[in-house]
Amino acid sequence: MYRKRSTYSLFALLIAASFILGACAGGATPTQVQPTAAEATKPPVAEATKPPVAEATKPPAVEPTKPEPTSPPTAAPTTASPSTGGKKVATFLWTQEFDSLNPLYTNMWFSTSTQQLWNCWAWDYDEKNVAHPNLVKEIPTIENGGISKDGKTITMKLRDDIQWSDGTPITAEDFVFTYQMYVDPKNTVATTYPYDKLTGVEAPDKQTVVMKFTDPFAPWEATLWKGLLPAHILKPVFEKDGSLDKAEYNTAPSVGCGPYVFKEWQSGSFARFVTSDNYWLGKPKIDEIFIRFVPDSASVVKALQSGDGDLSAFIPYSDVPTLQKAGIILTTEPSGYNEGWFFLINKGKGHPALVDVRVRQAIAMAVDRDKINQDLFYGLTKTPASYWDAMPFWNNPPIQNYPYDPEGAKKLLDEAGWVVGADGVRAKDGKKLELKYGTTIRDVRQQVQAIVQQELAAVGIKVDLSSYNSDVFFADFAHNGPTYTGQVDIQQWSDAPAFPDPDIHYWLCSEIPSAEKPSGTNSMFLCDPELDALIKLQATQLDVTERQKTIQKINQIFHDKVYWLGLWQDPDVWAYNSKLQNVKFSGVTPFFNIMEWDITQ
Amino acid sequence: MTRYIIRRLLQAIPVLIIISVILFALMMNMGDPVASMSGGRSVTRSADRERLTRQLGLDKPIYVQYLYWLVGNDWTKVDLNGDGVPETPGIRKGVLRGDFGTSMTLRRPVVDVIGERLPNTLLLMLAAEIIIILGSLLIGVFSALHQYSAWDNIITTVTFIFYSMPIFFIALISMYLFGVLFKQWGLPYLPTVGMFDPKVGQTTSQVAWHMVLPVLSIALISFAAYSRYVRSTMLEVMNQDYIRTARSKGLQRRDIVYLHALKNASLPIVTVVGLDLPLLLGGAVITERIFAWPGMGRLFLDQLGRSDTPVVMGILMMIAFAVIIFQIITDIAYAWLDPRIRYGT
Repeated sequence: MYRKRSTYSLFALLIAASFILGACAGGATPTQVQPTAAEATKPPVAEATKPPVAEATKPPAVEPTKPEPTSPPTAAPTTASPSTGGKKVATFLWTQEFDSLNPLYTNMWFSTSTQQLWNCWAWDYDEKNVAHPNLVKEIPTIENGGISKDGKTITMKLRDDIQWSDGTPITAEDFVFTYQMYVDPKNTVATTYPYDKLTGVEAPDKQTVVMKFTDPFAPWEATLWKGLLPAHILKPVFEKDGSLDKAEYNTAPSVGCGPYVFKEWQSGSFARFVTSDNYWLGKPKIDEIFIRFVPDSASVVKALQSGDGDLSAFIPYSDVPTLQKAGIILTTEPSGYNEGWFFLINKGKGHPALVDVRVRQAIAMAVDRDKINQDLFYGLTKTPASYWDAMPFWNNPPIQNYPYDPEGAKKLLDEAGWVVGADGVRAKDGKKLELKYGTTIRDVRQQVQAIVQQELAAVGIKVDLSSYNSDVFFADFAHNGPTYTGQVDIQQWSDAPAFPDPDIHYWLCSEIPSAEKPSGTNSMFLCDPELDALIKLQATQLDVTERQKTIQKINQIFHDKVYWLGLWQDPDVWAYNSKLQNVKFSGVTPFFNIMEWDITQ
Repeated sequence: MTRYIIRRLLQAIPVLIIISVILFALMMNMGDPVASMSGGRSVTRSADRERLTRQLGLDKPIYVQYLYWLVGNDWTKVDLNGDGVPETPGIRKGVLRGDFGTSMTLRRPVVDVIGERLPNTLLLMLAAEIIIILGSLLIGVFSALHQYSAWDNIITTVTFIFYSMPIFFIALISMYLFGVLFKQWGLPYLPTVGMFDPKVGQTTSQVAWHMVLPVLSIALISFAAYSRYVRSTMLEVMNQDYIRTARSKGLQRRDIVYLHALKNASLPIVTVVGLDLPLLLGGAVITERIFAWPGMGRLFLDQLGRSDTPVVMGILMMIAFAVIIFQIITDIAYAWLDPRIRYGT
């Protein structure tokens, strides 16, 4: 009997021991690197690359002027890194996997951000989000003759030393081909904007690209030539298959035009990029870049802490203290995004109260938005007063925020005729001031909804909360999406103008969703003729000074009429370990200076 | 038995069609796949919405979309350029001809998308299932034979503690303990995320080490349910007359327990395992997400969130088919385990 009992005890102990031994077994295999010859020259002086996390969008001290483009990025200096030798490998952690690597088939940030690694834009943007020529000799302007006086023709002169990674020269034909692929209806591209505004793209010679517009198009610089397709590779594919939809290039681009070339992409796991032998600016210091797909942000934090990853983006603010304690460097980079409220302002569609600007102003004053930034974001963000908060040149003079003033809010509501009832909820003409407040299911948004519900209740506004998955929240009129069918009075999400361009389009009267226009994006159902005219005008103004004045008028209308109310700034939050050096980010082309990046072993 | 199997397979066809209709209708009403498809971090432009809706065939009535999904559209023409004239021949062959369509977000054949992830999921889930079954059998048999003993109480307590913990809690705690803290303390540590370290490559040892934490997380939670089941069926069987007869005949305790009792006690367990096996194909959604394991669960969650109907339908129909097949296999296993059970008569 004792022997049988001890046998079973032994089995149980063995099971427990197997788990303990499994945990205590040899650790993660260290990276095997091939030793290379030591570099002979001195390491470069490391630049200061650690701006404080809170320094997101401080307004400049002097009158802001339109930033002037400076000289194109130079080749990587041929100096040694601080490492002692061996292949240098960096690992980035993305929380979303690419849907495609073809620039035409994706607008996912997690894919487009890699284009500075393996593809090329006509111009890149630096850490101040100023454009620098990349494929072109200079960015076209009216002064240099690149833009015609009527604004309808833009001519680019290409550099003559640019080439694809297989050594084939990049020419104007690649630009023409890229345009044709964008607009061909047989390609199910992510967007045809703004190529659908062109009447044509011509290549009078190999180094000249001529773009013709129907009307002057001011946002051209921020929206065109974000990625290029190799005509010599893909033209035969298109001619054979009739479409690029199923081209192997979309998931395994065989050639590129960046400092790295694509090597492999294992679905669900990682993608790998290695240095290109034919990049015209030389070779970057980091030999390989892995991008691992780790969907859970808590897992990303653990991986950064344990060193399984070197860099990640869109870190939740709640994880900032943990990462800082672990010695991870955190930095923010404005990318134009701000979290805010869009109001349903339409007599027939939404709540009649929101049609009255006093009610909207009262809402702006009833919510302590600064406290939300302090409590939920550790004071690392501020309340944006303007939709162009991240773009000081276009928010000039800077719009001032509505102050937190619940008493002032109550006065405005009283003035507007909304009287507090016995149940504490205001009413007018038998209609209660009960608003529907909707957003997506992101955690921090749920927390904000709860706070706002209490603060608005304190001034007599009842708020019904709802949250949706984003594909439901943003479903269009035809799909009975709550936002685009007028079911949500206060809509919350993070959005931006066409950063770094100030262009907007949601508030156009022509974008109001209806059975005739089921894809309309004007979820506010707002038609303000003055605003409508100004939005259309600014998109045609190539004169920066004139455009600045128009945008400022729009900015003022947005503020005075509370067409949009900012909650918190939403810059890109980057986390990287101190092994990475010379790191800078851009809000438009994040890895613009990847050539200068280095990693210590 | 052969007639029984053929009859069951024929019955499966209308069942699968009904399932596909219900699932398709549900999927088409769950969200707008074009909503965030082309806008990046912003809302999709109206012109792009209209174009993509047309190009992806989403402008057709739902029954037409189902028909195209089932039988294809290469027998008709579609309007791709929006001029109102369908002049482009369709290219889809339909599910009945083995074409599950193309993912709307990934623009790749559904079969390829699923095929890349399925082996990873089977590896993880089969390993977890084997450990769960073996461990649960051991724990359940031990508990049944030592009912109400100190060890029985300890095992019951520990398994139920793990059972009551949410999977994400166990996963993150184990990752933090064995991945982060052990490394900080200078102890051998386990990798935190992924199926293998891409810098090293997909070797057997790499995959094995990366499997430890996710398999551990899944198994710890499931031990309680399975082992209690084994325990209760064993207790029921151990009190049967034939077991008493075997004991009085002087048979070895080992033979009584494993040859007679466990075989009869395993019938209900076969049912449970038979129901569980096809669900393995769906992967462990939360575990795969936390450990960044590139499996079916993660794929399903990602594509469901993007309303990618072709991929989601492909996964669901595969699971539905597997459930039906495994039910048939379970019935056959029943007949093998219990000679009293016969079909087809």
